[in-house]
Amino acid sequence: MKKLFSVWLIVMLALLTAACGKVAETAETKKPAEAGKTDIDLTVLSSTMVYSEVYNMVSNPENYLGKTVKMSGSVATFDGEGRTYYACIIADATACCSQGIEFLLKDSYRPEDYPGVGETVTVTGVFDRYYEGEEVYYQLIDSVLG
Amino acid sequence: MLEKLGLYFSFPFVRYALIVGVLIALCSSLFGVTLVLKRFSFIGDGLSHVAFGAMAIAAVINLTNEMPLVLAVTVVCAVLLLRTGQNTKIKGDAAVAMISVGALAIGYLLMNLFAKSSNLSGDVCSTLFGSTSILTLTKTEVWLCGALSVVVAIFFLFFYHKIFSVTFDEDFARATGTKAQVYNLLIAVIIAVIIVLAMNLVGSLLISALVIFPALSAMRVFKSFRSVTVCSAIVSVVCALIGILLSILYGTPVGSTIVAVDITAFILFTLCGWLLRRRLA
Repeated sequence: MKKLFSVWLIVMLALLTAACGKVAETAETKKPAEAGKTDIDLTVLSSTMVYSEVYNMVSNPENYLGKTVKMSGSVATFDGEGRTYYACIIADATACCSQGIEFLLKDSYRPEDYPGVGETVTVTGVFDRYYEGEEVYYQLIDSVLG
Repeated sequence: MLEKLGLYFSFPFVRYALIVGVLIALCSSLFGVTLVLKRFSFIGDGLSHVAFGAMAIAAVINLTNEMPLVLAVTVVCAVLLLRTGQNTKIKGDAAVAMISVGALAIGYLLMNLFAKSSNLSGDVCSTLFGSTSILTLTKTEVWLCGALSVVVAIFFLFFYHKIFSVTFDEDFARATGTKAQVYNLLIAVIIAVIIVLAMNLVGSLLISALVIFPALSAMRVFKSFRSVTVCSAIVSVVCALIGILLSILYGTPVGSTIVAVDITAFILFTLCGWLLRRRLA
């Protein structure tokens, strides 16, 4: 029994090493961003997966910079610094936790084109970083709706 | 469905979750048999609430990696609980209940008073029910979980006979020279480690299910300590795997899905046990 257990543990450790050894990239993020192409399509994932992936995007943003992201969620707004910030919010499976990413629509959109609070939208944009003072924020730029 | 699974497996956090989930499920099931036989099923529940309280403290003091603090506090409480049970007037279930609700209340109070997050109810809910915790582990946490799981499994492997004798007849074990108190203490420490690990998998409110269901399922069919332990480990690992896969495929909360699969396995094993007894009768 000890032998069996030891072999099993070694196999699990080897798997753990293999799983952790890979660069933290998804299959979708391996390809460089191309015009009109979605690198990370969150709309095809289950809600648990979407929440976890967005959590990873927010926690490890460096791995996602420059990628075109497509996501669906409800709209939330935040007022500050003379402008309104729009975010696409997704909830986890228990609906008690939520993660969101701010988005900025393409210049061709007018201010009145922005969706209302609580509206469900699909946003596609490029994951980017910006600074306000000393704080760093992440958002989807050049976003399109639908 | 296989295509979807293939896509999901390309995400590193899914691979981490499956491996860590299997290791945690294995550890919890190994000691689950001992806990059930020693009538300590609810110690896991009490300690998980202590871990919740410790997590609240870690959040309040803004610790980046909260696991070392949570682990230390839970281990200390496990040892105190064991000593309190032996030496003072507050014994057994009363001591567990006291520590359990006390830690839960203080933890929630601290999180409310010194809230750092804008989504307090979300943080509490996630900690209690482990909605996606296993899918949002950092690489450091994955390694820590892996290492601790291996330590727990090795401890069980090498002290299997001592654990067996202490579990079944403590007095006899003591009479034959086994230091029962020391082993009980070690078991308490190991249980605390398992609780902290399992919080990532199923959340602090559902840990008891992860510890007791596989053991109870195995006991419906098998009778010897060894066969129950082996069966319990297999049931726990299989249920955890199925639970994690179902939750990522269908977007259900990870913790409660694993527990639902555990309950299904328990019902199936109860039916199997009943059929076997009928055939033998």
